[in-house]
Amino acid sequence: MHIAEGYLPPLHAAAWTVAAAPFVVHGCRALVRQVRTDPESKLLLGAAGAFSFVLSALKLPSVTGSCSHPTGTGLGAILFKPPIMSVLGCIVLFFQAVILAHGGLTTLGANTFSMAIVGPWVGYGIYALIRKLGGGLGVAVFLAAALADLSTYCVTSIQLALAFPDADSGVFGAAVKFGSIFAITQVPLAISEGFLTVLVIRLLIKASPGELSRLGVVRDSVRRSGASAASVGEVAA
Amino acid sequence: MLPLDTIAYTNRWRPRHPGEKALLSLGLLVCAVALPVWPGALVVGAVATVILFGPAGLSVGQAAHALRVPLGFVVAGSLPLLFAVGGSTGVRIDLHGLTLAAQLAGRSTAALLCLLLFAATTPLADVLPRLANLGVPPAVTEITALMYRMLFLLLDTVRAIREAQASRLGFRNWSTSYRSLAGQGAAVFVRAFDRARRMDEGLALRGYTGSLRVDVESRPVSRSFVLLSAAVLVAVVTVTLTIRLALQ
Repeated sequence: MHIAEGYLPPLHAAAWTVAAAPFVVHGCRALVRQVRTDPESKLLLGAAGAFSFVLSALKLPSVTGSCSHPTGTGLGAILFKPPIMSVLGCIVLFFQAVILAHGGLTTLGANTFSMAIVGPWVGYGIYALIRKLGGGLGVAVFLAAALADLSTYCVTSIQLALAFPDADSGVFGAAVKFGSIFAITQVPLAISEGFLTVLVIRLLIKASPGELSRLGVVRDSVRRSGASAASVGEVAA
Repeated sequence: MLPLDTIAYTNRWRPRHPGEKALLSLGLLVCAVALPVWPGALVVGAVATVILFGPAGLSVGQAAHALRVPLGFVVAGSLPLLFAVGGSTGVRIDLHGLTLAAQLAGRSTAALLCLLLFAATTPLADVLPRLANLGVPPAVTEITALMYRMLFLLLDTVRAIREAQASRLGFRNWSTSYRSLAGQGAAVFVRAFDRARRMDEGLALRGYTGSLRVDVESRPVSRSFVLLSAAVLVAVVTVTLTIRLALQ
């Protein structure tokens, strides 16, 4: 859930923009360096960004019977790494604000901090840790996607709690209040997103092993043994 | 295309310079957020509504369609403010929270109307090439423009795949729904990178050197529009502060 336009008081909106800025600037520098050394990567980064946008537009079934959307932060971080995701995520949030009116320009900093910085870093951290400890790809991907989603909503709860402390229990009580309300929908959604991301990665290993190897998600041995003949049509069917 | 983007491309203010529209709509947005909520939200909201349905020529249906989801977010986000937790009663209805929720909903709605004024009159294709003038690195603006071009193709791809899956009972139950959704995600990934590679090959054959320069249509800045916008902003601030002082 994005924080809507005008929802945060001006000081909070400015503070979250300042907090997000170093990560986005660092990501921009990394991106500019990469494009300078490898101009071809510009088109691939454009594709990665468009993929991130479309991923967040997929309709995920939820336990309440309605639909919701995955954040895609976990999958994005696994595929493209957190510094790049901070820039791509910020651009995706800007697009969502200007062409969907979801989120906003004054809340872009706060939304970027939760969805394009904390979510990807938590997801990638979990993924890297589990892989380093010898955990399977499926477990690592599931936990990365689910916890990236949950951490995004935890940060959003804290952002709202800081802006609107509870009358009786202050910031902590407000964080629990916002978190509990989000948890009703977000815990099942995080689990859903975890399962979905595992399925997506499994299909990608079959359909696009070369690209996953290039992105460092799988090793060459997996790429060579992958069913490289799987076509795009077979993946979608 | 997405509905709001379609409105922006066909809007009567589309030929105007994006900077003019940014001054008016984003100036109003700053007023909505920075001025005292009461009566700031009311004044800014009223001015933005009049401009949207008057000079900018939006229909009520278009605005309602564009705002229904974000307004849902505002309502959902305001509900927790109605309750206070902790204390002796555990959970209680907070009357002060009611005022806060109303203020918040008012400010957010006014801000959303200002955002809509910009989004519904200015296609992103007009904004992105000009971002470099604001100090955004050219590599970032070019990647942003590439994303913008590709995302509509990918959204069409997702729509087509979804229809094909639905007609093959791909959303019959939870299990098939997840499999179908994973197929959508994976197919979009493969298509996106395949398209990027083909674009790269096409550009290389045309002497691509790493720079994706596009022809930016020159649009003169209307001095009268800028002056009128500045006058509207000054009037909004003056009226808001005058009413505020009178009420105190």
